[in-house]
Order: sequence, then structure tokens, then C-alpha cells
Amino acid sequence: MPQSVVILSKGLEKSYGSVRALRGLDLEVKGGEIFGFLGPNGAGKTTTIRCLLDLIRPNGGTVRVLGMDPQKDPVAVRRRTGYLPGELHFDQNMTVADALRFLNSLRAGKADWKFVLHLCEHIDLDLHLAIRNLSKGNKQKVGVVQALMHRPELLLLDEPTFGLDPLVQREVLQLVKEGRDGGATVFFSSHILSEVQEIADRVGIIRKGAVVETADTGALIGRTLHRARVRFLRPVEASVLETLPGIKILAREDDRTINLQIEGEMDRLIKALAAFPVQEFETERPSLEEVFLSYYEADRTVGN
Amino acid sequence: MIAIFRNSLARFRGQILGWGLSLGLMAAFLTRFYDTIANQKDNYLKLMTSYPKELLAFFATSDVVQMFTPSGFLNLEYFSYMTLVVGIFAVLAGSGLLAGDEESGALDLVLAHPVSRTALLAGRCLAFLAAMIAILALNWLGFILAVPGTGLHLTAGELALPMLSLFGLLAIFGALSLLLSLLLPSQRVAAMTSGILLVASYFVNALARMNKDLETLAKFSPFHYYQGGLAIDGMKWDVLAAMVGVSLLFAILAWWRFERRDIRVGGEGGWSIPVLSPRKRGRQNNRNPEAV
Repeated sequence: MPQSVVILSKGLEKSYGSVRALRGLDLEVKGGEIFGFLGPNGAGKTTTIRCLLDLIRPNGGTVRVLGMDPQKDPVAVRRRTGYLPGELHFDQNMTVADALRFLNSLRAGKADWKFVLHLCEHIDLDLHLAIRNLSKGNKQKVGVVQALMHRPELLLLDEPTFGLDPLVQREVLQLVKEGRDGGATVFFSSHILSEVQEIADRVGIIRKGAVVETADTGALIGRTLHRARVRFLRPVEASVLETLPGIKILAREDDRTINLQIEGEMDRLIKALAAFPVQEFETERPSLEEVFLSYYEADRTVGN
Repeated sequence: MIAIFRNSLARFRGQILGWGLSLGLMAAFLTRFYDTIANQKDNYLKLMTSYPKELLAFFATSDVVQMFTPSGFLNLEYFSYMTLVVGIFAVLAGSGLLAGDEESGALDLVLAHPVSRTALLAGRCLAFLAAMIAILALNWLGFILAVPGTGLHLTAGELALPMLSLFGLLAIFGALSLLLSLLLPSQRVAAMTSGILLVASYFVNALARMNKDLETLAKFSPFHYYQGGLAIDGMKWDVLAAMVGVSLLFAILAWWRFERRDIRVGGEGGWSIPVLSPRKRGRQNNRNPEAV
């Protein structure tokens, strides 16, 4: 496996009894990128990450992390990775400093304590606080610090900004970017589509245990559906616009205003609108959310 | 492994002080009764011989005269039933060594570090053994401080012998609890099962003194090999070695199981025992961590 591929899985399978959590998951994460892993609860995100760390064993398929098989070399894989679990639990009898020192001792003291202090300062974390008295957000901060403090080659982050206020979210995302800029590869799962859109170089969408789409974030958004709102000077018969390929009228706000969905280039629509008395023309920047939700629209339709 | 050992032992410090000091005080308190009982020997003899033989057998003595010897006194008044009391610690600590953190979700974070499962298990087991030794040492200290000035006339070395026998017994139940915690659905089920086995073993062994038909079954009870206070009269080192060997066997089986199974997610673990749960269509036997 080329060293430029940091995570590689082929046909990954994992079942819990009769429930298939992963169904032939194929995944490739390149070195030095920030890869966003999107999916709702139950899609298989946490199961995937736990397979990468040998916390659970897949039933089929192959997985390689940093060129190693996690089942054969789990300690070697974990030595070079930093992990932030989706749910954090620390020894309640410790202080923040105690907890970080203990976790650092498991890495033979690899982390530079000055760097630990720098990280804590960045996200406003008091080392002297007792774990038992921490809010969920502050516990998350401890989790972020322990994942980053030893400057790992690979970061596995499960919902990294969960429970954090917007200011600290921004700091954490900045730390993630700095980690990438320092040469680390970042693999993170999230429900917050805006943050994935903001920092991820590539996005993978997981649905029912399989990756259904992987692409550069910008390209994925570019391929997606655009929205436009057109207001005419007077009522017009706009249904002719739907005869254009890729154009669909979503709604009519009133007899002069329509909302359109455009697939592909906007040029066709703009040229067609030239024949109409247009008063206002607004377009919406497409979002990752629409791409994401489109993969689940079929499920919701069936559910309804 | 050293970091795991130190951290795990630190987590036991409350239990070491709590159990150790309590047992030490109790040992010191009971020791002072020896002279009272010895001075009232005739009256106690009359009282004890009036008890049913079955009751005496249940408290590990069939020979009432033995009660007035140092070893017999300590065995009857302390080491016979103390196994059930301290056994609670062994059962709860053993079953919680891994399953406790696993069910809380804390084990994920530890095992996401460069720590092998073997090192984690070894570190925690050694910490458990060290905690048990510390508790028994405090217990022993209670005896050592209280014995001078009594008619017991036992040396520190002689007083250590019942502690060793007790250690062997507790090691078996601690290791068994650990193994069960890795086989059964949760720490609670494992602790409950181990507790039942602890009490059942005690009763089978006690009843076997009254009912010869139970003697064969009693040989499967660790209490059958436990000497208690009678170790003062002669320690059976080969039996103690065998008890330690059995606990080591349970620990090895626990290691074998731990190496091969998935780490449960936080919150998993319940009362449902797969063998006993009815299998229904669409019912999942293992919790999917992705499910909400």
C-alpha cells in the first residue's frame, strides 16, 4: 500500500448479532488530508473508527492504518494515532492534569508538557479542575487535548466539537487545521455539516454501513443541486422552464415568484430567463447538507 | 504495564484503607476475647457441647476442645466466616477489573493508547493482587498489635499463615470473577454469579461435615482446601500452591477471552444471558453501538 494512503479498508464487514453495522465498507484516506466522515446515528461511523483501532474485530474485509493491520500490530498503530471517542469517560477522582499525565504515561511520556499547556491555553482549559466537576464541554476539551498532545501522525476524531460553545469550536477546528498543517492526517466524523464543509478536504458519506459517496468537498458541493428564487415584474407562465433539462420548479410563493432547483450548470436557466421580465434573481450557495440529505431522502420516503 | 499497575493500585487505595483498617480493628478486638474464653473454659465447654453437632460443624469445628487452642480459636472466631466477608471484596474487585471501565466507556480511551490488552490485564491483575495483599497485611497488623498481652502467644510468622491461606482462597474467587466478567453480559451478572458461587461453596463445604454424601461435591469447593486459622498448626504449602495455580488458570482463561473479544461500548451490558434469552425474529443479541 502506498504510504500516501493512511487508511485503507476494503469490503469491511461487521455485525452485532443479526444487525449488520458495516456492509462491505470501502474507504481510502490520503496522507495529509482532513477527511470528514458523514452519517447519521446508526450509519456505522463509530464502528468504523473502532475497527481502525482494534477495539472491535471485523467479520470480513481488510483494513490498514498507516500501512499496518490493526489486528496484528494494534500497539504500533495506536502509538502513531490520537483518538477522541464519541463519549468520554475519565477517572472522576483525578484532576485534568492528572488525567493527561496518566494518558501521557501510557505513551511513555511522549507529549511535550509545554505543548500540552499551549493546547490548554488555546481552548481555555484549566488543568487544576477536578474531572468530577467538569461540564460536558470541558470534558470534551480534555479529550481534544489528549488526542493532540503527542502530535500524532493520524487523528481519529469522533464528533470533535460536540458540546463546545461556538468560540471554542472555532479554536478546536483551528487546532485540527494546525495538526494537518504540521503533517498529520485527520479523520473525523461529524453531524455538523457546516464544520465539515469548513475544514474537510474530502468527504465520505456513509449510509447503512457502506460509503455511498466520496469526493473533494468543493467538487461535491459543485455537483449538487443549486437553488434559485426568481421574482417577475408581472405574473408569467413559467412552467415552460421545467422543459429545460435539470430544471424543476419547487414552489410558487405567489403568482410572480418561483423557487427553482437546478441540476448542473446555471447557464441554461439564465439564457431561458432572458425571455421573461425578471425583477429579482437570487441563488443559494449549495450546501453539503443537501448532498447529505439527498442520500437519505429515499429512506424518509419509504419511512413515510 | 507499570503505568497501568500504578494507576489501578491508586484506584484501590480507598478500598485498601477501608477493608484493611476495618479488618485490622476487628482482628484486634476479637483477639482480646481469647483470655476471657480461656478463663471460662469449663463454662464454655458445657455451652458448646450443648450445641447441636451440626451447628458446630457448620462453623468449621467438630472438636469443641480445639476452640481453646490459639489456632482453633482464631479459626472459629475469625477465619471461618471472614472468607465470606472479604470474599465480597474479591468478587466485586475481580468482576470490575475490566468490565467496570468497559461498561462506563473508559476502557476505549485507555486501549486507544499504545497499550496491549495483555499489558492492561496484567497491570490490573497485579494491582488487584497488591491490593489484596495490602488489605491482608493491615489485617495481620491488627493481630500482631493485639496478640501481645494475651494468652495466644503467637509469633508474627505464625499469624501470617492463616493470611496466606485466606489469600489463596480470595485469589481463586477474584480470578473467577474476572473470568466471568468477560464471559457474562455484564459486571453485575458476573458479580452476582461469583457471589452465589462463593456462598454456595461455603455452604457445601460446611454441610459436607454433617453429610458424608456431600464430601465428593465438597472437593470441588475451594473452601475444602482452605485451612484458615488451622494453618498455624501446620501450613499445607502444596495445597496453597494448588490454590494459587487454580487462580492462575482462571486468569489465563480470562486473558485468552479478553484477547479475542470485542470491547463493548459504554452503556452496554445488562442482565440478559444469551443462553436463557428467548430468540425472537429481528431481535438483536448484541447491542449495536450505532443504534440510538
